[in-house]
Amino acid sequence: MSESLFEVQVMVNGLLRSGQVPARRLLSDFLRHDLELTGTHVGCEHGVCGACTILLNGKAVRSCLLFAVSVDGQEIVTVEGLVNQDGSLGSVQQAFQDSHGLQCGFCTPGFITTISAFLDENPDPTVDEAREAIAGNLCRCTGYQNIIKSVMRAAEIRRATDFSGSGIVTA
Amino acid sequence: MTTRTFGEPVLRREDPRLVVGKGRYLDDLGHGSYEAAFLRSPHASARIVDIDVSAAIGMPGLIGIYTYDDLDGRVAEPLPLLIPHPNLTGGRTGYPLAKEFVRHVGESIVMVVAENRYLAEDAVGMIEVLYEPLPPVVGIAAALAGDRLVHADVPENIAAHMVQEVGDARAAIASSKNQLSLDLHIERSASTPLEGKGVYAIWDSDSGEMRLWSSTQTSTGVRAAVAAKLDLPLQKVECTAPDVGGGFGVKIVHPWPEEILIPWAARLLNHPVKWTEDRREHFISSAHERTQLHHVEVGFDDSGRILGLDVSFSHDNGAYTNYGIIVPIITSTQLLGPYKPVTYRVEFKSLYTNTVLVTPYRGAGRPQGVFAMERTMDAIADFLGITRDKVRSTNFIRPEDMPYDHQLIFQDGRPLIYDSGDYPASLEMLKQMIDWDGFKEFQHEARKSGRQVGIGIACYVEGTGVGPYEGGFVQVETSGRVNVSTGLTSQGQGHQTAFAQIVAEELGVPIEDVFVTTGDTRRFAYAVGTFASRAAVMSGNAIALAARNVRSKALRIAGDALECDPRDLEIIDGSIQVKGDPTHSIQLKTIAVLSNPLRYAFDESTKAATQFATGDTSKPPIPDGEEPGLESRDYFSPMQSTFASGMHAAIVETDPDTAEIKILKYVVVHDCGRLINPMIVEGQIHGGVAQGVGGALYERMEYDEGGQLLNASFMDFLMPYATEVPFIETGHLETLSPLNPLGIKGAGEAGVIPGSALIASAIEDAEGFQIRKMPISPSELWQLRIDHQSGLIPSLKAKEIQV
Amino acid sequence: MKIAGTASIGQPPERVFAALTDPAVLARTLPGCLSLQQIGPDAYKMVITAGVASIKGSYLGQVEISNRVEPSSFTMRAAGSGAPGTIQAEIQIKLVSDGEGTLLSYDADAAVGGVIAGVGQRVLSGVAKKTAGEFFKAMDRYLSGDFTSASPIADSAISAGPSMQHLSTPAPSQRLSSVQQNGSYFSLISGAGIALVGVIVGWLISR
Repeated sequence: MSESLFEVQVMVNGLLRSGQVPARRLLSDFLRHDLELTGTHVGCEHGVCGACTILLNGKAVRSCLLFAVSVDGQEIVTVEGLVNQDGSLGSVQQAFQDSHGLQCGFCTPGFITTISAFLDENPDPTVDEAREAIAGNLCRCTGYQNIIKSVMRAAEIRRATDFSGSGIVTA
Repeated sequence: MTTRTFGEPVLRREDPRLVVGKGRYLDDLGHGSYEAAFLRSPHASARIVDIDVSAAIGMPGLIGIYTYDDLDGRVAEPLPLLIPHPNLTGGRTGYPLAKEFVRHVGESIVMVVAENRYLAEDAVGMIEVLYEPLPPVVGIAAALAGDRLVHADVPENIAAHMVQEVGDARAAIASSKNQLSLDLHIERSASTPLEGKGVYAIWDSDSGEMRLWSSTQTSTGVRAAVAAKLDLPLQKVECTAPDVGGGFGVKIVHPWPEEILIPWAARLLNHPVKWTEDRREHFISSAHERTQLHHVEVGFDDSGRILGLDVSFSHDNGAYTNYGIIVPIITSTQLLGPYKPVTYRVEFKSLYTNTVLVTPYRGAGRPQGVFAMERTMDAIADFLGITRDKVRSTNFIRPEDMPYDHQLIFQDGRPLIYDSGDYPASLEMLKQMIDWDGFKEFQHEARKSGRQVGIGIACYVEGTGVGPYEGGFVQVETSGRVNVSTGLTSQGQGHQTAFAQIVAEELGVPIEDVFVTTGDTRRFAYAVGTFASRAAVMSGNAIALAARNVRSKALRIAGDALECDPRDLEIIDGSIQVKGDPTHSIQLKTIAVLSNPLRYAFDESTKAATQFATGDTSKPPIPDGEEPGLESRDYFSPMQSTFASGMHAAIVETDPDTAEIKILKYVVVHDCGRLINPMIVEGQIHGGVAQGVGGALYERMEYDEGGQLLNASFMDFLMPYATEVPFIETGHLETLSPLNPLGIKGAGEAGVIPGSALIASAIEDAEGFQIRKMPISPSELWQLRIDHQSGLIPSLKAKEIQV
Repeated sequence: MKIAGTASIGQPPERVFAALTDPAVLARTLPGCLSLQQIGPDAYKMVITAGVASIKGSYLGQVEISNRVEPSSFTMRAAGSGAPGTIQAEIQIKLVSDGEGTLLSYDADAAVGGVIAGVGQRVLSGVAKKTAGEFFKAMDRYLSGDFTSASPIADSAISAGPSMQHLSTPAPSQRLSSVQQNGSYFSLISGAGIALVGVIVGWLISR
């Protein structure tokens, strides 16, 4: 006897996406396997490492702690959706490249979404505020030094490009 | 002039793809394949009495359920013991699925394959295993007691017992003016990369070929193991390491049970099969490292010069010895650091416990050895009332002593001979950067306002670039694109950038034209793997050699084409020209065309290489001893490892009320020879330091006496976040390695090695009493304070350290 | 692989022995039996459908009974083949009086080959034991006068002649909706399980 399936409709990176999923399907698995948006990564499945962080209606949340059915009708942005309209790297993404903010890259999408949401609220952080903002995401490679630099660099890029929106593009 | 790339902080070529979520890690692959889940032992030690799958049979989406009884051929044999050693007399490995006994919580017993992971786990949940639990052996003390055995046929739980000595240390200590003894303890931690292990296999029954992906540090190793176990010719197996989300040592072990079982299942079912590890699985069925108990006896003169050093330690190797005794051998040899004790004796017992197996984790035994040595140095300094930097420099190997032969055998089976290094200069730089001389005053001022601060120091030497070899392939295509490949793997070290920098510089081409592939057996089949801080040294040099071959062939052919001496030619931005005369030139990509004489032209450029276009009929199109194409494959195989070194200093503050420990300043001085990309090297150091801080203050595996891992999740196993890692200042020294053409040494593990030694040294300085066990938590420090006040722990002789 | 088990049947051993070696009874009690044809003394050909979860299919089987010691024991040799697999088995059956009824014990030695071996031995033996249990229960019901057939089509399935009758539709209660199989075999997923009468099963793995 297989499980009942439920229809889920979500705006993901500006596009209406839908699927039929069991009630227990995690949002992280729905994004990665049903929608094949594999940019969001799963590091622990218990909400601690933050690698699965996505933006739900603009707020950074852990997709491994949500069921896909619970976001029906909501808006999600994943790391894939943070590129610019013209396909160039978004401000946070560019900052990570400029500041050597990633090594293996596995935790990176979770940081990029987290920082994107943070800078939307706090466009001009101090170094300490930047450190606090990323203090809920684990990285094993970088020792965080260059991730903090990436936050500051992203703020700088946003100021320089007279950044106004949230940079969501159709993926 | 050509843009210099070697030595420049070139931005990474890997990043644009990764920052937009286009990485391809193992779990991103294999859409539509069957997925596996495992039933793992809930007991630390037990006999399997029965496995009842009847309730699982009707589960939706079930494809198959497998136990040891289903394994056939060599798959039913024990997993390989990767690094045999004559002293490893009690070496034991497990089976891919437990045969009769399980020896640690997490050991795999049943594999379920289903249409997806959710359904596979559902089926696992319906399988009932009947166990006869046996009394487990947990912890070194229990192992040493020997009344319970992990393996019935390994007496006293001793997998290996080894002694190395130079001179008669015990006699030297006995006759020394001063003696000290120390007991030291480092607890268990683990690599815990953010991405766990994973395997994906496709069996092509038409061609009898296995195509395999694994989140591994050695795709050539996995390939060879799978071919052997599945009884396939090597040619019929290809293995690729995709993007890998960190390794730090745990992914060098191979073959994991899953690396055999997943391809085995793919072939059995004639359908792609995939498995990715979840976090709990990683905690209980990957590998850990670090637990050791040391007893040090040291004899020294009044200047602090060590005349005899006698170290005996117990190493907890977990339930199986898949990776042999590499970790304790590294501890034994790298313990010496930058020092030259007159005599030295080291003895270890490698012991079985009913816990997860122990294999290298970044540092691989060095942190433990450095802890022993550096605590001893601090103890000597305190005993004699001399400064901690002075006691170290008294014992340093001096630059003029190089090469320095310790007369021991290192982990590569070769003599432990330091090739180069300037330890006095490193110490000077370190002292400057941390303001060592000014600290006493800072500490004094702090005390006045009720603050407790301390400064610590720790030094290490790291053997890097261990052999046997690595290879490099460099090829210039007729389009001008340069393909580079090497067989070892990448987990974030920036190889696609650093190796491209080498080739761009050697060949004189724009770095944008250079494309590097690592870890794919289809592109380069002879390799060892990425571990032991060896990739830059080994593959870097091999690639450089291959690039030089390509360059010299290109210049030779260009010399013919331009009718001049190749020695008068240079390559700038992909154009070969007479030095100082850019008008007299030919493109490198044209040389690629000319190097491959053709019968058929398929585009404009290749027309130039066809039979009627090339003139010289006095020699064959491909001269003797030559090959077509502008490419070369070369290997680098050094006589021995090359020794990098470093020193860290830190200032910590301990709260008088809460015993909380905070790092105020952290300085690294690091010497790894020439740097290919300083930005990448610094990143490696940062990551290592974070793991060192983690190991000093936060990370420990909590096993209870029943062998249950109590903190098998990120909630309870504390890894540092950004708020726990201090700002890291780095200084570089470059003493070139004389052992390889590029003069480089490895850097990958450096940051983590002195972490526990350093923090212990600083806390000791802040508190005024001995710290001999790490990691240390605030509540443990609190307890030590109480013990100290009640006289259980002695004070340091000098309550205020002379700085 | 070895599969062994017991069953209690509420009839004396003589009746059970007779039933087990009577093709008319077997056709009624074997779960999933579509047809059964006697091809010689103590030798039968049959078509049986079988399925569990994602593994379903039908097979052609041949059974021979030997070493008859009435009413206490006999040997059954069976061979079955379906598209991706084969089974050979030898089963010892022992019957012992147990008050008013019989304690039956079976001991099978089976070799499984082909793709069906890919589901794992424990799945195979688990299914086999479950089926055996269902068969013996059906036998028990039949012998106590409940002639409801366990198999899809009973009476018309039995023929003593040389030709086999194929039946076009299974009994509605036995049919599940899933996969239809190409070829000349039916594919049914029988919730009643599988027959183990010394013949183990050839599964067709559904795609």
